[in-house]
Amino acid sequence: MIWRLLRQHISVVQLVGFALANLIGTLIILLAMQFYLDLAPAFTTDDGILGNDYLIVSKTFTTIEGASRTDNSGFDAKEIQDLARQDFCRELGSFTASNYEVSCSLGIDGMPAFGTEMFFESVPDAFVDTHTEQWRWTEQSDVVPIILPRTYLALYNFGFAQSRQLPKMNEGLITMIELNLTLAGNGLRERMKGRVVAFSNRLNTILVPQSFMTWSNDRYAPGVSSEPTRLIVKVGNPTDAAIPAYTESHGYEIQDNKLAASRTTFMLKVIAAIIIMVGTLISLLSFYILMLSIYLLVQKNTYKLQNLLLIGYSTRSVSLPYQLLTIFINATVMILSIAVICFARDCYMDILWQLFPDMPQGSMLYTMLLAMLLFLLVSAVNIVAIRRKIELIQH
Amino acid sequence: MESIIFHSVLPNVFAAEPKVCSEVWLKDIELRRGEICLVEAESGTGKSTMCSYLTGFRHDYSGKILFDRQDINSYTHAKWAQIRCRHISLLFQELRLFPELTAMENVEIKNRLTGFLSRKRIEEMFDLLGIGEKRDVRTGKMSFGQQQRVAMIRALAQPFDFILLDEPVSHLDDKNSQTMATLIAEEASRQGAGIISTSIGRHMPLPYNRVLKL
Repeated sequence: MIWRLLRQHISVVQLVGFALANLIGTLIILLAMQFYLDLAPAFTTDDGILGNDYLIVSKTFTTIEGASRTDNSGFDAKEIQDLARQDFCRELGSFTASNYEVSCSLGIDGMPAFGTEMFFESVPDAFVDTHTEQWRWTEQSDVVPIILPRTYLALYNFGFAQSRQLPKMNEGLITMIELNLTLAGNGLRERMKGRVVAFSNRLNTILVPQSFMTWSNDRYAPGVSSEPTRLIVKVGNPTDAAIPAYTESHGYEIQDNKLAASRTTFMLKVIAAIIIMVGTLISLLSFYILMLSIYLLVQKNTYKLQNLLLIGYSTRSVSLPYQLLTIFINATVMILSIAVICFARDCYMDILWQLFPDMPQGSMLYTMLLAMLLFLLVSAVNIVAIRRKIELIQH
Repeated sequence: MESIIFHSVLPNVFAAEPKVCSEVWLKDIELRRGEICLVEAESGTGKSTMCSYLTGFRHDYSGKILFDRQDINSYTHAKWAQIRCRHISLLFQELRLFPELTAMENVEIKNRLTGFLSRKRIEEMFDLLGIGEKRDVRTGKMSFGQQQRVAMIRALAQPFDFILLDEPVSHLDDKNSQTMATLIAEEASRQGAGIISTSIGRHMPLPYNRVLKL
């Protein structure tokens, strides 16, 4: 009966106008977010080893310096502390080098067929963004996991194997081969098994887990410590002008391709943020339309609302029909916008997969959560505003 | 609720007037539950304003109004809803019925909230007041006198400690006025409630034990 009284003067045109404007605003916000979430991995996980906000910093040295002052290529504790104190630096880790001899051979039928001297480096595990379960090492592990630069494989396939008529190898094949490692130092010479678990485009080093590096340096080179020659830095904004200014003034250099990918992602973030802002603006305006039409409705029904309140109805029960009306509209907008996003995503993902075949499937979870959050937020504000307005007409 | 106290109350609209001659305004008076009080006044002296203060609809006065020694200005919206449902019933001078609802629906909209009267009792009251055949007629299509009786039944569709009647018989003949007075007196007596009736001339025939000039 209350609804019969209060539904009078409801303007369907106004409410449909609000619903449409809100739908457009919500769609823009959600679509921008979903598109960003879908596209960002194409740039950020191109080798799956490091996230995008990491920079690798090393010292620049000239030919003369390189020949005469090799001991100066490492970062000392003071330099590391100074870099860590910079505003752009969120986290900082050092590359740890192996201080013992490492050689590696590939065996065929138990006979060594291919051998080389090599080295290992490690970075703190927090910086290695690999999802593979194999990137773990404990003293009980039989096999040492290794990450190789992809360029090494190219060097072998297109340089060495080509000239020696050796078979070419792909990544899948290499990850299946067991490497025979010989570690020597501190009067020990021991054999271990190794296996390449991933390839990296960005890290130009042979990477092993930090736990293995700590153990092996203690075992084969106890008491030897060397300054790190490269640092890995997590930054908030890779395009921060303070970064090149700082590195140039201190004679450091940053790996270029890394920065380029970071910039692309950063630009993607900026564009997504701008679109989200436009969507937010439209949503805010639509929200304003809704509030105006509800206020107008309350105004037109003031006498009825007053009567209901005066015969003993509570503000809560009188507000409820209008609150339910807005919740219904907001929920419809949320469901419609999720449906449209699902449809739009189906359309653009086909194109994205053609451009970036390795791109992960992605999910709509965060977008759906955002849609729910928007719904809850808008509805909560509506509920409070309607109640306030109705409380006001009692005075 | 046992008492209503007016403590030097003066509507803000009268604040500029040089002299206020009233037995209510600017006086300390106490209205007790069980009393039948007539507030006589000329037009424009603040009868409806007083009723609005007592139902928490207006607060534009100086001084204090206390329900059971509690200042009503401290009441929340929820508390007022409770007062209007359980403690103070008001028959509005302007009736405040919903013209788009039938006479029965107008009573039911209140009774549904309080659950105070049975459907049978409501029908009895309609018959008693001579509007039994108008139950399903929209109040917008009824005469003012008929509407006054519907509003009366609605005012009785709740428990109360005080019932305020703002010019209750202005459009009723003597017979209906008497029937209504009997109904109200019975109901108030059954609940041990007080009656505060206002009048600008004709007043409801009740055994008043107090008359105040506003």
